[in-house]
Amino acid sequence: MKITLVKKILADGSACKKCAEVEAKMHQADQFKFIDRVVLADETDPKSEGMLLAGKYNIDRAPFFIVESESAPAKIYTVYYRFVKEILNGQMTEDQELREIQDNHPDLDFI
Amino acid sequence: MSDSASAINLIDIDSMLSSKTPQEILRYALENHDNIAISFSGAEDVALVDMAHRIRSDIQVFSLDTGRLHAETYRFIEKVRKHYGIAIDLVMPEASKVEALVKSKGLFSFYEDDHKECCGIRKIAPLRKQLLTVDAWITGQRRDQSPGTRAAVPVIQDDKAFARPEDQLTKFNPLANWTSQQVWDYIRSNNVPYNELHDKGFVSIGCEPCTRPTGPGQHEREGRWWWEEATKKECGLHAVNIES
Repeated sequence: MKITLVKKILADGSACKKCAEVEAKMHQADQFKFIDRVVLADETDPKSEGMLLAGKYNIDRAPFFIVESESAPAKIYTVYYRFVKEILNGQMTEDQELREIQDNHPDLDFI
Repeated sequence: MSDSASAINLIDIDSMLSSKTPQEILRYALENHDNIAISFSGAEDVALVDMAHRIRSDIQVFSLDTGRLHAETYRFIEKVRKHYGIAIDLVMPEASKVEALVKSKGLFSFYEDDHKECCGIRKIAPLRKQLLTVDAWITGQRRDQSPGTRAAVPVIQDDKAFARPEDQLTKFNPLANWTSQQVWDYIRSNNVPYNELHDKGFVSIGCEPCTRPTGPGQHEREGRWWWEEATKKECGLHAVNIES
């Protein structure tokens, strides 16, 4: 299994807020060791590898995870806690999961 | 189908549907999915219920009953149920979760921290449970509702947040390209019933404690969670601008 993390880099070179938060959580939980590759989606460069991957998988937010294995098609995770739960078999509270869904989908405010 | 192939298909379909009317998008959605439901908020998205009912009279509709809606909204949901002769599933939060929240933080904790904990329990968790029962869902989300975020609302999307594990959930936003004005033109010209709160100055309608009327020139978003600082939305990837 190969896991790629795609994170967004802002024009000033810093990681987007959400990407930084997710990275910090992963380091804190010692999960970063499972990431094989980190790819940058540079907001100033639509041809950066991360932006091209976002286009390929029709993803419109960062960060996201690409999980590849030889026996199955690539799986994409845009929700960190879902990725942790399904791929890393990690534990999380429902509250954390629900909050992340809302953070990633502000459009749900209008449901 | 791989995520990549699936995404390409949806991009193609989105491109094809983007130039269509909401009615044409709805027809596509209803013809291609048997197990599909409309999420009806009790506001101007009643236009969707009207359009869908003209296409398929047995359309599935659900509303998220947070327990904190305005009395006017409950009356309106009932009015819509009778007007169209349809069943509207009222999806409610898990009582034990609400009780635990109220016991630990009171009835108005959202004014002190933010609305997400309460919304998570009263709205998002029940929505997630409901969406596990369908293959596709339809919302009244529009691009002009969230000027603060650059992320577009596509007409069709692969809903990865709420899909069953190892399965696909398709989300349709037939009103994505319409403005609020167009929705209201439709409601008026088709004599569609609407929530009486709109006549009292409410543009966006949610839970009673978290919704207020807006004044002239104010965006509808200003009628919701007005005590919270607008969140900077900086993580969008704007795939529509990506050259492949």
